[in-house]
Amino acid sequence: MTMNTLETKMVEPALPARPADAWRHLSIGAMSRAAVLVALVIFGQAIAPSFLSLANIHVILLAVAAIGIMAYGMTLVVITGEIDLSIAGAAILSCVVGGLLIPTGSAVLVIGATLLTGLVVGLANGALVAALGIPSLIVTLGTLGIGRALANIVSGGQALYPEGLNAYLWLGRGQFAGVPVPVVLLVILGAAAVALTRYSTFGPALYATGGNVRAAKLSGINVVAVRVTVFAISGVCAALAGMLESARLSYINPAGFEGMELSVLAVTVLGGAALTGGVGSISGTLTASLIIGIVNNLLNQLGVSIYLQQVVTAVVILAVVLPGIRQREIAK
Amino acid sequence: MLKLSRRHLLKTAAALSVLAASPLTIVPAFAEDSVHAVLNGLIKKYSDEAKTGMSNGDVSALFERDGFRDYLDVYPVGDLAGGFVWKPGMGASFVGPYSKLQIKAPFTDYLPLPEGPVLDASKKYRIGLVFHGFNHPWLISLADTAAWEAKRHPNIELEVIDAEFDDNKMGQVIDTWIAKQYDGIVLWPNREAPMGPPVDRAVAAGIPVVSLDRRTSSEQISSEVLGNFYANGLQQGLYLKHAAPEGNIIFNRKDLGSTADSIRTGAFLEAIGNTPGYKVLANYHTNSQRTQAFKSTADALQAFKDISVSFNTGGEEAMGALDAIREANRLNSAPGGKKIMILANDDAREVLKEIKAGNIEMVSPYTPLIGDIGIRAVVMHIGAKAGLNEAPPKLIMTPNLPMITKEKMNIEGIETLTPDEWPYAYGPEVSG
Repeated sequence: MTMNTLETKMVEPALPARPADAWRHLSIGAMSRAAVLVALVIFGQAIAPSFLSLANIHVILLAVAAIGIMAYGMTLVVITGEIDLSIAGAAILSCVVGGLLIPTGSAVLVIGATLLTGLVVGLANGALVAALGIPSLIVTLGTLGIGRALANIVSGGQALYPEGLNAYLWLGRGQFAGVPVPVVLLVILGAAAVALTRYSTFGPALYATGGNVRAAKLSGINVVAVRVTVFAISGVCAALAGMLESARLSYINPAGFEGMELSVLAVTVLGGAALTGGVGSISGTLTASLIIGIVNNLLNQLGVSIYLQQVVTAVVILAVVLPGIRQREIAK
Repeated sequence: MLKLSRRHLLKTAAALSVLAASPLTIVPAFAEDSVHAVLNGLIKKYSDEAKTGMSNGDVSALFERDGFRDYLDVYPVGDLAGGFVWKPGMGASFVGPYSKLQIKAPFTDYLPLPEGPVLDASKKYRIGLVFHGFNHPWLISLADTAAWEAKRHPNIELEVIDAEFDDNKMGQVIDTWIAKQYDGIVLWPNREAPMGPPVDRAVAAGIPVVSLDRRTSSEQISSEVLGNFYANGLQQGLYLKHAAPEGNIIFNRKDLGSTADSIRTGAFLEAIGNTPGYKVLANYHTNSQRTQAFKSTADALQAFKDISVSFNTGGEEAMGALDAIREANRLNSAPGGKKIMILANDDAREVLKEIKAGNIEMVSPYTPLIGDIGIRAVVMHIGAKAGLNEAPPKLIMTPNLPMITKEKMNIEGIETLTPDEWPYAYGPEVSG
């Protein structure tokens, strides 16, 4: 047995199943999520007659689009065994930097600067974590603070209004073939992320890095490149999500996205990603985003207070995540 | 045995505060017609009526459930110091030293200090201003006005520190200033209880302390500059009563238990509590977050097809509600094809723009431009300590301000102002 075969075998359990035999590999966590999603839809329609109306589905999907896109990036990072707490800082700094170019009247410049800033923040995170070996918790906690502080400094603490930048506003308010642009982006980016994790050579490298970094290195995987890449993707996802929300409200708030990193992390974990690395899927993250979106929508429709909503959301997360964790423990 | 509840203690403290203010309060006859006096009269009228009971079951149930009476009864309502009468147009214009925005501060003639050196001209006075939020449009404007006032007096040295919503940091800043023997301290406390001990330590060290907008738990504090939350909520209610005798309301409120929520929402409910035509459809705490207000309103619009009123405790909430209503194409979806009425507080420029456009019905101004009063008050306290002048009142009420509506109106004796008549708005201009 060669070393490569041995290492491949070691990381195999972490790899996602191929579509053909996916049903046989469905984890308890995935089944729990699917069951909860179906139950929520049935329950929702039973208690709120307008729940399955097109308008309400539209509201739910729009509500989850930004958090879902951020969670895609976070999922990739978590699969590698790292964490990205900087996403709210990256989002707001990117939006503010882009917003400073609003007076140019060029939506291309504003959008470009926004995404580029997200990329730079992500690359900085990746470089510090992968190249210098600083724990991602510390690095991204630092860049979260730096991002927020810089956003305040460069904006002078004042909100920016992208009024008149129609192409920018279209990202948050426009439609493509009758589907809201943020939802289209959620689907396209989800498909791209699934392709990346399941059907490219990057996928196995990603899971291997998170599953057993030493084994991954020995099998020739450039774990530095993998980590820098996932942080860069996460930074761009954060910037894009921030832009969608800002465009939707036509308002760039330098104090915005308060606590967003924890909400996104919650969705990622609910989606089945293990903070220990090597486990997680984009489809799980998307399902988790929908679960949270539906729960919040239903609770708002029922007039449940935001404080109780937080409790209910936490209970839902625990109820879905615990069986999966238990299954992983038994498997070990 | 004498039993004292927290409510009794709070009531007593508030009463003593007003009493302490009264010896210096000379109310001229013409002050009775002022906006401040008219609004105080209406506050009393509606509060008294609500105390005898509310005929609207929905409103009464919400009022009782969230215990608004406890908060409203201890919130100070009183006359302005020194018989000051505020009129629209008063104040001074300048560029905010921090925000770099054009500002017109409304109360620069309240407890005025002439430009130039203060107190002992040969002495330098070190004053500290500690607040939270250079990143907050409302709060940066508060700091702007304080810095402007300090700059008018060459022998005042002002140090401004942002405690970044960290009560411990604010306490440490105050302790540092005590150690450095500063002459006076002005603060914007985020929460009452944690700031009481540091303020007590400063006062015990002989340093006058003035709080702005919010209170601390200190009973030793030199002065408190605060005001018109009550008039805010009351005017939202009066406008609604004037515009529509019935309607289905959704609420976007600030944090449960916060002064802004308790007083504004409570006063609103008092004003409409004896009108039977209003129904409470949904009640959300969106915690001053526009995004949260947006989501709550978007979901409520799906749950209820007959929303006619969106009550918002603040401007952020109102803008979030408006965006959600717009996105759902529901601006004119109130029963009978009428417009959904959006009621707001906080006179940010973006809110005024929407009033002008007819998208938000009204806003009750709550100006952050009061930092200058704090600086003047603390200077007066420093002077009083040195025997150079009388001390200002312990409770310095800020003037009640009239609501702003698209067209000029007279509602129960309140002359509303239009956005063009309101130069005191804060925050950046919104183009487009």
